[in-house]
Amino acid sequence: MTRIGVYVCHCGLNIAGVVDVEKVAEYAKTLPDIVVSEHYTYMCSEPGQRMIQEGIRNKKLDRIVIATCSPRMHEETFRRAVAEAGLNPYLTEIVNLREQVSWAHTHEPEKATEKAKALVRMGVARSRLLEPLEKRRVSVEKSVLVVGGGIAGIQASLDLANAGFPVYLVEKAPSIGGRMAQLDKTFPTLDCSACILTPKMVDVAKHPNITMLTNAEVTDVKGFVGNYEATILKKPRFVDEKRCVGCELCAQVCPVKVPDRFNENLTQKRAISIYSTHAVPNIAIINPGYCLRLKYNKGVCGKCQEACEAKAINFEQQPETVQVKVGGVVLAVGSEVFNALQMTELGYGRFKNVISNIEFERISDASGPTGGKILSPKNGKTPKTVVFIQCVGSRDKRFHEYCCRVGCMVTLKQAILAREKIHENVKIYVCYIDMRAFGKGYDEFYRRARDMDIDFVAGLPSEIHESPDGSLYFDVYDTGTNKLLQIRTDLVVLGTGLVPNEDLADISALLHASRSADGFLLEAHPKLKPLESAVAGVFLAGACQGPKDIPDTVAQASGAAAKALDLLSHGEIELEPLKAIVDEDLCSGCKICTSICPFLAIEMKTDIIEGKERARAEVIEAVCQGCGLCSSACPTGAIKIQQYNNKQVMTQVEAALAETCAEGGK
Amino acid sequence: MGLSDLMSMAKPNIEARDKILARIGGKELVNCFQCIKCTSGCTALKLLELKPHEIIKLVNLGFVDELPSSDIIWTCVTCLKCVQRCPQKASPYHVIIALRNLAVEKEAKVPEGYLKAVSQILETGQVDTYQKIVTRKMETVDRECLKLPKICPPKESFQVVFMKAMEEKTT
Repeated sequence: MTRIGVYVCHCGLNIAGVVDVEKVAEYAKTLPDIVVSEHYTYMCSEPGQRMIQEGIRNKKLDRIVIATCSPRMHEETFRRAVAEAGLNPYLTEIVNLREQVSWAHTHEPEKATEKAKALVRMGVARSRLLEPLEKRRVSVEKSVLVVGGGIAGIQASLDLANAGFPVYLVEKAPSIGGRMAQLDKTFPTLDCSACILTPKMVDVAKHPNITMLTNAEVTDVKGFVGNYEATILKKPRFVDEKRCVGCELCAQVCPVKVPDRFNENLTQKRAISIYSTHAVPNIAIINPGYCLRLKYNKGVCGKCQEACEAKAINFEQQPETVQVKVGGVVLAVGSEVFNALQMTELGYGRFKNVISNIEFERISDASGPTGGKILSPKNGKTPKTVVFIQCVGSRDKRFHEYCCRVGCMVTLKQAILAREKIHENVKIYVCYIDMRAFGKGYDEFYRRARDMDIDFVAGLPSEIHESPDGSLYFDVYDTGTNKLLQIRTDLVVLGTGLVPNEDLADISALLHASRSADGFLLEAHPKLKPLESAVAGVFLAGACQGPKDIPDTVAQASGAAAKALDLLSHGEIELEPLKAIVDEDLCSGCKICTSICPFLAIEMKTDIIEGKERARAEVIEAVCQGCGLCSSACPTGAIKIQQYNNKQVMTQVEAALAETCAEGGK
Repeated sequence: MGLSDLMSMAKPNIEARDKILARIGGKELVNCFQCIKCTSGCTALKLLELKPHEIIKLVNLGFVDELPSSDIIWTCVTCLKCVQRCPQKASPYHVIIALRNLAVEKEAKVPEGYLKAVSQILETGQVDTYQKIVTRKMETVDRECLKLPKICPPKESFQVVFMKAMEEKTT
């Protein structure tokens, strides 16, 4: 006979505030085979866990039902406690009274209590059929794949490589560096961005443990935690990486002009060129969409080939696929800057003197289109008035509801740069809603901006107009003075926010990593697991998880690297024993399960029985994640998931219906 | 306890506020964080000192007793710029219309123009009166000399339907 213990958790007032926990515990006592039924404020606390352990030791309990929060939260905690008391941890059943009862039915305490009782009854019924299971151990591949070569990917790669593990760093662009490479200065210290980033970029290139794959994309990821197999597509550069010395003789003879992506399309470069002045690797690349030879036929142009002394140019270069085996993946694909074209009232795209803040960054940068001089794009003259407009595309329900977290500080920095670089009586205005200077040294930076005679207008303009002479003007109501002001200016800089990368859709599909409502990648827990995705072995770093400034990005990248080290350092990991098993007698060999398994964990094997060939499904234990898709798809019921077989689930359904039948089917 | 306006010693009237909110379908339309875009772009502000952000904030805080009888709610020209551009999808316009309906209900003073417009519609079925226009050749013309068909006054049933629709809208 089974001896079941029921433990009902109050979760402070989270559950007890709605559900009458005492009644639930009393009710459980009326169910068959219940030896103990108790309730306690915090079941997950040390005294709570001790209650369960004492029940196992003193009352000889052999099934434990815990009515508490979601199993995602504390199932592991309770299993550990149960195991410590000497009972197989898989004889524990969690009943969710928080997310599925008290939080869902806050205004209906009586009905909630009834639902809680029903759920406990179901849990008790199921617990009788639980079987003891053992954890599986699998070895871990001691290397890491880092996707994205911005500052997050660079930092994570360096940390992992310095700890002695091989790293594959994949970057989509022809050079690593990402957004940070495009910036002029960084807040709040006004460090030159290139000066602090380029040494790190070079370190990555030189590090013996890092394999850097630029102009490449991850196209496929198979496997599971500790044993991922990634396929990386290296797109052709049409330049031999080993031969090219980066002299750019080719770019001097190339006749085709293309927009310069690194300079936010403010300038043009040649169809063959090096990505940026401080590109790593410093190797030329041909843009196949523009190059005459690649676009038309073999006979035309080829001037770069003639000019190249190193004989590096190879028009025949083909895409290359690289297969790597890794234990974990760090996602550091970053974010994009909001495209202000969507916000038509501000005239971005229509008026040349309205620019985005990333464009200002390029204009202000010494390696940018103007050599670091701040000039109005329309007439190339030094502006007399510069206006910054905040919250473009962010804190806006029409586009992105979240705060972009960097816009205020970027504007303060750019306003200070404008003051320092132009100086001659330039007037600088910042139109804002709230000034969010929350980080270390940030509010001091705000004061520094105010000290530099930068004027702050508390209010946003509704629309921007252009006068015939090319200058811009707009009305803005200032709540500080309660006056409607008109500002005339020759340069408007829009404080465009950070938005999710377009590639995130593909990446989340590849790795089964989910995204939050704002479109960024979702962390496993917003407070306690901010560095991990919900997929084991996939870690998050930088702005792909949410908009972030450089200090936060670097901190998160180092944290994600530490989490990956934790995974790799043991050499092997324990896996959940909940997996699919095949009843060979029932399997008809229809192969539906192999086609449906997302982890490719089912193979077909052929036996010869009584002279006839017979195909049967076989589960690769180490790969199976126990998701249950095969079990529900199997037409003969041959594949079952341990702990979730038909009998166990049906018993639960019967228990759910039992009371309703007794009440006359109400 | 609670909030009071020290200038007028007024207290928030939450009941009246909720009545206005119910008219516009809940709190979403006054969910304002005071970015002031509505007032910066308000067509009526430059002429008549209408400050939509103040109206929204007053409704939000519950200082609504004065609003239906005040002139400012009638100055909105319903250009709807504020509705289109509000980053919080709040809507000063809908709040102002709700306040106007409340004013009519309370039989507060309604500007003559509005009452005129209503009687105009009832009589002719048109919002505006017909006017003669002056062409580029400086000739004064009306519909008749342009050989345009005469516009008939609306049928009687129109007035019944119109009045019914008006009543439904305001309740």
